[in-house]
This record gives sequence, structure tokens and C-alpha cells, in this order.
Amino acid sequence: MRKVFVVAAREYKAAVRTKAFLITLLAMPVLMGGSLVVQLAMKDRVDTNDKTVAIVDGTGQIFPGIAAAAEKRNREDIFQGNGQGGKQTKPRFLLEQVEPAADDPAQLRLALSDRVRSGEFLAFVVIGEEVIDAPAADDPAAVPERASVAYYSNSPTYDDFQIWIKEPMNQELRRLRLAKHNLDPQVVDQATKETTVANLGLVERDAAGHITVAQKINLEANIVVAMGMMMLMFMVIMVGAAPLMNSVMEEKMNRIAEVLLGSIPPVQLMLGKLIGVVGVSLTIGTLYLVGGFIAVVESGYGAFFPSHVVVWFMVYLVLAVVMFGSVFIAIGAAVSDLKESQNILTPVMIVVVSPMFVWFNVVREPNSTLSLVLSLFPTATPMLMTLRQTVPPGVPLWQPLVGIVLVLLTTAACVLAAGRIFRIGILMQGKSARVGEMVRWAVRG
Amino acid sequence: MVNIVELEGITKTFGHHVAVNQLSLAVPQGSIYGFIGPNGSGKTTTIRMIMRIHYPDPGSGPIRVLGREGYGAANDRIGYLPEERGLYKKMRVRDVLRFYAELKGRTDFKRAVDGWLDRMDLSDWANKKVETLSKGMSQKVQFISAVIAEPELIILDEPFSGLDPVNSDVLRREVLELRKRGATVIFSTHDMTVAERMCDFIFMIYKGKKVLDGTLASIQERYGHDTLRVKVEGNGFDPHGIAGVLSVNDFGQLQELRIGPDTDTQEVLEALMDRGRVTHFELATPSLHDIFVRIAGPEAWKASEVSPPVEAAHA
Repeated sequence: MRKVFVVAAREYKAAVRTKAFLITLLAMPVLMGGSLVVQLAMKDRVDTNDKTVAIVDGTGQIFPGIAAAAEKRNREDIFQGNGQGGKQTKPRFLLEQVEPAADDPAQLRLALSDRVRSGEFLAFVVIGEEVIDAPAADDPAAVPERASVAYYSNSPTYDDFQIWIKEPMNQELRRLRLAKHNLDPQVVDQATKETTVANLGLVERDAAGHITVAQKINLEANIVVAMGMMMLMFMVIMVGAAPLMNSVMEEKMNRIAEVLLGSIPPVQLMLGKLIGVVGVSLTIGTLYLVGGFIAVVESGYGAFFPSHVVVWFMVYLVLAVVMFGSVFIAIGAAVSDLKESQNILTPVMIVVVSPMFVWFNVVREPNSTLSLVLSLFPTATPMLMTLRQTVPPGVPLWQPLVGIVLVLLTTAACVLAAGRIFRIGILMQGKSARVGEMVRWAVRG
Repeated sequence: MVNIVELEGITKTFGHHVAVNQLSLAVPQGSIYGFIGPNGSGKTTTIRMIMRIHYPDPGSGPIRVLGREGYGAANDRIGYLPEERGLYKKMRVRDVLRFYAELKGRTDFKRAVDGWLDRMDLSDWANKKVETLSKGMSQKVQFISAVIAEPELIILDEPFSGLDPVNSDVLRREVLELRKRGATVIFSTHDMTVAERMCDFIFMIYKGKKVLDGTLASIQERYGHDTLRVKVEGNGFDPHGIAGVLSVNDFGQLQELRIGPDTDTQEVLEALMDRGRVTHFELATPSLHDIFVRIAGPEAWKASEVSPPVEAAHA
């Protein structure tokens, strides 16, 4: 065992002392968070050129209301911060009223379409003449053209205007319809006001015997924290375990392996590497968790830090790193060039990444049967069980225990198979092993 | 005499290829044992079996190393320098050597490492990364890594290949020094002169079969005094076509003539004198180089008395 630790120590130092390690350590959260930051930063960097839209108001009554709303928006809502002081971040919407052509509406639509094509307008809206009177039909397809509103444009992916116009238009419509029936808009508003449903946790009896006041649930924070824990697990696997493949390939391609095997049996060599990488992963995990804790506390969300899953997280982390690490080692030993390794790596990466495909379903219903089954699938357990445990109220204790047992068994199988592949592959030069060969080595020993 | 390594009837096949065929070998303690043979003849496979990196086919006899069966690769008492060897490029020279010393179970490795670096003229490079070393220097570092733990048995696969004469001498000096301190040395080489000069015993393997095994003298004895080493001055001297000369090995300045068992050397001398001015004429046993070529060279087909390798070739 002494040799195992000599190898582990070298592996740890070789990994942690490199500049690449530091860079990756810093770059990972930047990349993960960075895309969010870039999205947020880019969100306001839209085209602020005026957008002119033609409105054909068949009713002759709606346009003024919409125009007033557009003017109000142009005055107040398109600047950074509030009011006109800030930088303009959104385009102005300019409306141009076009008289309806009762005799030939198709001709008018063609003319307007041409003007959109020429760039004069962004789009045009046709408000049917009977839209105020028509009873609301349940099926929009059944509403006749005369009683509907249509938005025509040549830029199907730009929907800001289409979304915006709905509200002032419907407000106008509602006002006009109510007026028609002699109803007081204020009374109707009052009568139809929607009420919200508060999202609260459960109450419990505290130490003093009082029944606690339920806490407001912050849905976003709960999801973000749970996702953060899962992403952290993923990152550590990627930063910690994945480089094992390159480390083994280095030993193989630089012909270090045989020198090493003169001093240490292959299985011990592999175990040493795994232990080294577990050390690396725990280092990364601890650094990120401490960093995350500080960040969360500093930003005033300290209550959301999932301290109750930290120990579980570390246990899963170690198991995941050993489980995937041994697979990466086996691949590194079996291939003889980088290109080959990428081919075999792809399916493995899909397995590693797969929890990401289902995490949202799991986080929304952590205690559904589907979530339980998914999180007991050994390769997904470390990430999904952490996820489920992070989301309140957590899961029954037997579930993570069963998960750990299953992961342990899988890990043992992976290490055993990897050891067999490693022993044969590490000395093979010139050609890469086919997957079939690897399976044969793993099974027959 | 105690044998440090003993192989009995060892066979190793890879697929359909018989790499080593019914090989037996005994390496006495304290000896320097040279493994020779053409590329792909089974030297490295034999060495790897001694190291327990490869396992012999079922049905093979035992391999005893340091008096025990099943003692193998990871033995701290064996130092191994494989033919295919490399070092961690990003590590510093001193760290690499300390790593190997530690791996071999040495605890007082700091002094030993610095001592070796000093002796091998590498002290200035101790803190440099391996990737900055020249080929010769990294080969010396590899050698140190194999012997740093003062092993009793040292197995070196092609230790001299690619070394310049100066480094070659340094390495030879250290190998002999290790032997003087009691180590047994097995090394493979393509350099017949090195094998002749350094080895107590020479073992040649050809197409997986042992074809030579013994002291240099005993090997040469088998071939007798059948070689004439001659130097003849004169433009366009051509030693071919002399009666009684079976083959000619022309080195340019020196020619080796192989003569038949009944050839009269006086007649050969006379024929040579007809062709130019003879400045050197020596009746000798064949060199190891010559023996090697006779067994493994293209001429082997025609060889009369050395038939086993030819059989082996068709086996």
C-alpha cells in the first residue's frame, strides 16, 4: 500500500501544481456563471433603432388608446433605470395609422406587405372591424377575420412588439366593450381582480412549543441552489477525474508505463492514481463549496446554503470520481492516440452528462417515483441524489443509503474491469483496443 | 554458484506468433549476462517474462528470480530499465528520481539521488524539467531511476542505444561498479563490441529460440579458428574469389575472410600477396559480430555447420 500512496502523492502534485489546474479551477465557474452574465449583459444590448408599425384599425376606435400607450412607453419604459435619465436600451415603437380599405382589404394587405419588405415598416397590424362586438370564441380558428386582430411581419422571431401590443389593445377593447354595455370599468376591475397564491413551507412546533410561522418559499433560490450542487458535482468530475485519461495516455505514449511497472504492480498503480485524483477532487470540491458558502452568505442568502447535504455531497463526490475515474483510466490505457480516445470517450461523456437532461424534472418533483428511479441509477446517483437531497424537504434516509450501496457496487465493478483493461492495455503500443477487446479483457481478466 | 534468474522450458506465444520457444536460461549471481539477437527475436519478451510483465504460456516451466518463483515486476530488489522508456516530462529531474527511489521503498533517497546526479554529471540539471533534457541526458536519468534503490538484480534493455561514446563510457563504468558491489546485471544490446568486452556470459536468441549461451570463449571455441583478418594495400583490392575462402566480410580498411575447415592458410596468403601488399594477416576465432551475422544474417541460409538457426527459421 505504501507504493499506492507514493503514486497518489505524485499524481496529486502533478495535477494541482500545474497552471492548467489553476486556470480550470477559476475558469469553470466563470464559464458556468459567465454565460449567465453574458446573457444578462447582452439582454439589454438590443437594437434601439425606432420600430415603425402600421396599424389598420377597422373599428376606428382602438388606435388612439394604443397610440397613447406607445407614447407613454417611449417616454418612460425604454430607458435603463426608471424614466428618461438613463441610457436607452429598447427601441421606440412608432405607430402609423393606415385607413382601412373596406372595398379591397386584400389589396391593402399586399401594399402594406410591400412596404414592410421595403423596410418602411417593421410590421403591420390589422384590427378587424367587428372585433369590439364579437363574442369571444373559444377556438381562435373559428373567429372570423372581421372579428380578429392579425399581426403581419417579415421577422417571425422578433416578437417584442407583438407581445407589447396585446396589453394596450386589450385594455382598449375591454374599455370599449364595457362602455358598450354601460358597465363601470372600476366595478368590473374590482370584480375580476385575480388573487395570488402564496408559496409557503410547512409549519412546525418549535422548541418552546409554539407553532412556527410558515416561511415564504423562494422557488428560484431553491432550484438554483440544488442545481448549483449538481453542477458542482459535474464540474469536479470533469476537472478532477477526466484528466486521468490524459495522465494514463501520457504514461503510455511516453513509455513511462513500463518503467513504472518495474516498480509497482498495475493494479496498485491504478489505485494510486485513483486515490491521487480523489484528493484532487476533494480539494476542488472543498474550494468551491467554501467559495460558494462565502458568496451565498455575502449576498444575504445564507439560509439557502445546503449545509445538511455537504457530507453526502463529499461522499458522492469521492464515489463518482472513483467510478468515472476508473473508466477514464481504462480508456486511457486502451487507446494509443488522442483521436481514438475521443471516439470511445463520447458515449462515456453522455453517461456522465445524462443527469443534466432530466435534472429539471427531478428538481420539480424530487419525490416522484420517476425521480427516485432516476436517482437510483448508479451513474446518475451522485448528481441526482444530491439534487433531490438539496431540495426541501429532502428524501427518506434509506434512499441515499441504497443509492450509495448501488454506486459502491458499480464503482467496484468499474475499478475491477478498469484494472484488467489497464493491465493489458497499458503496455500495448501502436494500436488502440476495440471496444469488443476491452470488454473481453474486462470480463475474462 | 547461485543462480539469480532461472528459466526452464519457457514458451510465450502472442496469437499465432511464437515469441519465445522452449527457452531455458540460468544467470549466475554477480555475473554480467548479455542478451543479443536480431530485432524481434524475443529478447524483450524474455526480459518482460523475467520481470513478470508478461506471463509464459501454460505448460511452461518455472521462472525463478532471486531464488523464488512468482517474484516479479514490482520487486524492490530488481532494477529495470525497459527498452521503451520515458519519464514524466513536466517533472523536475530530482523529483522524478526521488519518486522512483520512494516507489522502490528507499527512505534515505535525498542523498542517494544527489550522489547519482553528481556521478552522472547531471547536478546542473537537477532542478530542470525533464522535457529540457537531451536524449542522452534523459537516458542517464532513466538509468539512475532503475538503479537508485541499489537493486540486487539489474535488467537493462538496450541501455547503450543512442548514447555518445562519452556517456556510453560513463554508463559502462557505473554498470561495472554496480556489479563490483554485488549486483547481477542482465542487459540486451545490439552492440557486439560492448557485449564482447563487458559480458561474462552471452546469450543469443533467434526467432524465439536460444542459439548461443555461454562465455565468449566457449562460444568462439565452437567455431574454431576459421577467420582470417587481413589488411592489404593496393588500389582496387578485391578479396573475393580466392580458393578456400567461403565468405568475405569487407570493413573497408580490414577484411575478414572465413575459410573452410581444410583450407591451407599459406595458400590464401599467397593469393593475397598476388593481389596487393599484405600489411596484416591474422588467424583468429570469429568475432561475436561475425557469429551473430552467421546465425541471423542472410548468409545463414548457406551456412553448413551452424544449422540450428536455419531450422528454427523454418520451424
